[in-house]
Amino acid sequence: MSRIKTCVSLYSLQDEYLNKRMTLEEIMHYVKDCGAEGVEVLPDQMLHGTPEPAQEELDKWNKYVADTGLIPACGDVFLNTNLYKNRTLTKKECIDLLIKEIKLAHNMGLHLIRLVSMVPYWVQEPLLPYCQQYDVAIAVEVHAGMAFDVKATNDFIREMKRLNSPYIGLVIDTGIFCRRMPRVVRAYETSIGTSPEVFDYMDSLFAQGTDFHQVLLKTGYQYPDELKAAMKCEHDKISVPLLDGYENYPYEVLDDLMPYIKHIHLKTFEMTPEGPEYSMDYKGLLQYLHDHDYDGYVSTEYEGNRFTLAGHPMQEKQQVAMQQDYLKKCLKEIQG
Amino acid sequence: MFDNNVFKAGTCRNVTENGNTIGFQLETNITYYRGIPLSMVEYIRVAVDSVEIPTEDIRISVDENDWFTLKEAETVTSYKWEYGEPLYVRVLCEGGLSKGTHKVKLTVATRTAYIPVPLEGIKEREVVIQ
Repeated sequence: MSRIKTCVSLYSLQDEYLNKRMTLEEIMHYVKDCGAEGVEVLPDQMLHGTPEPAQEELDKWNKYVADTGLIPACGDVFLNTNLYKNRTLTKKECIDLLIKEIKLAHNMGLHLIRLVSMVPYWVQEPLLPYCQQYDVAIAVEVHAGMAFDVKATNDFIREMKRLNSPYIGLVIDTGIFCRRMPRVVRAYETSIGTSPEVFDYMDSLFAQGTDFHQVLLKTGYQYPDELKAAMKCEHDKISVPLLDGYENYPYEVLDDLMPYIKHIHLKTFEMTPEGPEYSMDYKGLLQYLHDHDYDGYVSTEYEGNRFTLAGHPMQEKQQVAMQQDYLKKCLKEIQG
Repeated sequence: MFDNNVFKAGTCRNVTENGNTIGFQLETNITYYRGIPLSMVEYIRVAVDSVEIPTEDIRISVDENDWFTLKEAETVTSYKWEYGEPLYVRVLCEGGLSKGTHKVKLTVATRTAYIPVPLEGIKEREVVIQ
């Protein structure tokens, strides 16, 4: 029987790590204490020397996994196609880099790596023998702003269906299921100079059941007059393009992709004291996943950290704990 | 977006070698959420009291042992700027910063794997040289 399981991406606790308020070991124990079953890690973030870290670094990771009993659910992998300033990596260089990542995942006890959005589709076939040999699946991330209208994503999906292997799939980031503009984004952006009228406009789009990305697609990336009128200052020219990454898809967009979905990033901008996340309906999504026999992890990915107001304390730990508590309540209701 | 990562507080100081003050240096965290090879540093800019330092006078290092000009760093792929660890930015200028208070501004930009524009962060701090 399929079962949805909880997970925390260590992306959620990046500021604690960056500013050395918590070590990786402390973070792993915190995730365990929050009640998550799985852990997701960005090796490039918390394992020095990735993709070929020293054995000592790997030993530490594997010790923390053993000590906490957390299941290493997913490793988030990037492809530095722009490693050099003067040229893009060749196909061979890209594939060689990803082979290293597959081997690293294997050594970390991972059976799934998330390939960052825009990874070219042609890596799949050459990587497949390595995926099989090391028992590591590869899954490209479908992320708001880089989702189903984007050529690289669609090319990846087409090739994935052609190869039809259990070792190739998708990671869905729930930023594509925003039902409201996150208000922490409004609070942060207006605090650094964006006109509030810009956010009134964004809110009106969500109220109509659409989003800014859809508007830009329809207008060929021209700003509508209503938005132009809302842009009152020079700073708006910098901030408006950043508001393209919050999409409002129906869950049904996943209908034919469900067999390929390996993992879900449960994006969090703001868990409210009442329980739900401000911009997304987790309960509705979890019910959809349950009804479609999703058998995998939903992984807390807190991103409100980058919208923390100046002078306010970082809320990463609290937000992760709040989301895990809320998820468990929802899953109990849905799965029994 | 990553301005808060730039220019760690309390790190700007003059650098003395063999009794000579050869310049000054400061430390910064990365304008990204993961580590990258040095070749993916798009640019570093330093300004002191609103005067831009010439690019060729800037050196960077991840270990304070091996230093690279920004031009050299473009091909440096085996030294990684790790997330949570500083990049040391050194400005070569005889005598370093003069005694007193200066406004030092650091700009850091890194290339990412999937966002077409580099991620830039800027921070200006008041620095007191005793």
